[in-house]
Amino acid sequence: MDNPILELDEVVGGYGRITILHGTSFRVRRGAIITIIGPNGAGKSTVFKAIFGLLNLSSGTIRFNGTDITGWSPRRLLEAGIVYVPQGRNIFPELSVRHNLEFGAVAAGPDITDMPARIEAALDRFPSLRQKADQQASTLSGGQQKQLEIMRGLLLDPKLILIDEPSIGLSPLLVQETFGILTDLRNRGVTILMVEQNARSALEMSDEGLVLELGRTRMQGPAREILHDPRVAQLFLGGAMAEVE
Amino acid sequence: MAEFIAYLIAGLATGAIYALAAIGFTLVWQTSQTINFAQGEFVMLPAILILAMVGFLGAPFWLATVLGIALFVLLFGWGFKIVIVDPMIRHGVLPLAIATMALAIIMKEGAKDGFSAEAQNFPSFLPVQTISLGGVSISLQHIAIILVACAAIGGLQWFVTRTKTGRQMQAAAQNPNVALVLGIPVARMVMLTFLINAGLAALASVLISPIYLAKFSNGEVIGLFAFIAAIVGGFNQVRGALAGGLIVGVIDSLAAAYISTSYRLAVPLVLLVIIILVKPEGLFGRKEERRV
Ligand SMILES: Nc1ncnc2c1ncn2[C@@H]1O[C@H](COP(=O)(O)OP(=O)(O)OP(=O)(O)O)[C@@H](O)[C@H]1O
Ligand SMILES: [Mg+2]
Repeated sequence: MDNPILELDEVVGGYGRITILHGTSFRVRRGAIITIIGPNGAGKSTVFKAIFGLLNLSSGTIRFNGTDITGWSPRRLLEAGIVYVPQGRNIFPELSVRHNLEFGAVAAGPDITDMPARIEAALDRFPSLRQKADQQASTLSGGQQKQLEIMRGLLLDPKLILIDEPSIGLSPLLVQETFGILTDLRNRGVTILMVEQNARSALEMSDEGLVLELGRTRMQGPAREILHDPRVAQLFLGGAMAEVE
Repeated sequence: MAEFIAYLIAGLATGAIYALAAIGFTLVWQTSQTINFAQGEFVMLPAILILAMVGFLGAPFWLATVLGIALFVLLFGWGFKIVIVDPMIRHGVLPLAIATMALAIIMKEGAKDGFSAEAQNFPSFLPVQTISLGGVSISLQHIAIILVACAAIGGLQWFVTRTKTGRQMQAAAQNPNVALVLGIPVARMVMLTFLINAGLAALASVLISPIYLAKFSNGEVIGLFAFIAAIVGGFNQVRGALAGGLIVGVIDSLAAAYISTSYRLAVPLVLLVIIILVKPEGLFGRKEERRV
């Protein structure tokens, strides 16, 4: 893989004395959607925390565009063009939708002068956000909250998005809509590294798949191959695999 | 009736002081799980520092006030966080709370030994006359305290909800992990709440000391009532702490007037017990939530 946007090289780290990542290595191709799958507790979210400077690493290197970003603060990573949308609910329910959205601009440099216009455009992207702009974010549905989080992450025009289980708790229709947003972004040149439990749908819209197990990369390859690999099918995609074929 | 109104206003004035202390108390609780048992001493000490500056440095009162407040905010806003909170919170909420109890004793005894064991007159910046309104004699000082405290609280509320920095402070209090991921300078926002807490305590000190006089032991009652006010108000927001402070102040004042001066301390405690039994999340609180 020439000139990957992100490289993890033998990353070792965890929480306190417990090691979760036992030498995790992989490369992320520029302009692709890559989905990480793996059993619960495999360390998928922990990989994202490691990349985003939220985990103490005992060894290993993380490179972004060839630059060593190991141990950089979230702020610095945001400025460099990486955003992270963690698993679960990441909004401030009592603040208004607009004020929640504005937090996406906290790390904006002084050279970004069109932020107000970007915020308006983000609200216009979804009628529900525009309609509830001045109401508490808690009045949004789960899917709308996720849309808010994604739009918030896009204000800085990131080059790489780390998104952890965006489809959790969403109806199938909203999952398709959310995946649609991500596909649009990829088509505009943004690289997306995603973790998904909804492995089948996620792999179907991805360029590559990556299987993580016990904090190590077990498999990486074109999404179709991962999707059709019998071992993966058995482990993560449920027994229904054969019927789909 | 005239008497009742006078007690009511006096209660609102001391209640406003409790509210200032209670708001600072909830702010540092929300952003850093600090239960500051020295909060009463935080209100006691600035007046002593100011008098010490007048006494030892011969500074004019206004200058001593400015310097005393600045020194207090430096030592008990910034210094308190760096020296006590940051090292202790790593071991948990309880060790930190106990450390603040120790700090309270040190501050109290320090003020007694280092300055004076006697109550000292403290000049007022506010009018001290009493006016008569329709047969009710009203202390202008009480009215002024209520106005100044409410203006400060209103200003704080405006800052927290209407400014970008204030909202970042809310975000850091409500969900520090998400705030960090967004690039919000969480550590700086937490420090800001400690500086605000010290500033509110200093303001309370300057307002209350002309009435209670400046004395090393003043923190005991103020700290207790601020604590009760914070719990009554719900422990998690400016609005609740304000209401809690005013309620406790009024109840204390009326209890002293109509029940008994010797048992007055017990009445707000009874209120506290009732609240804990009936509405444990406080009058304005929501269950399991933290916010500014
Ligand atoms: N903050 C934490 N402190 C201690 N251990 C943690 C922490 N977060 C996660 N772990 C542990 O690290 C391991 C990996 O967790 P991680 O969240 O990365 O898994 P995951 O692959 O994302 O799982 P899931 O699919 O359930 O989200 C788990 O055993 C978990 O218990
Ligand atoms: Mg996870």
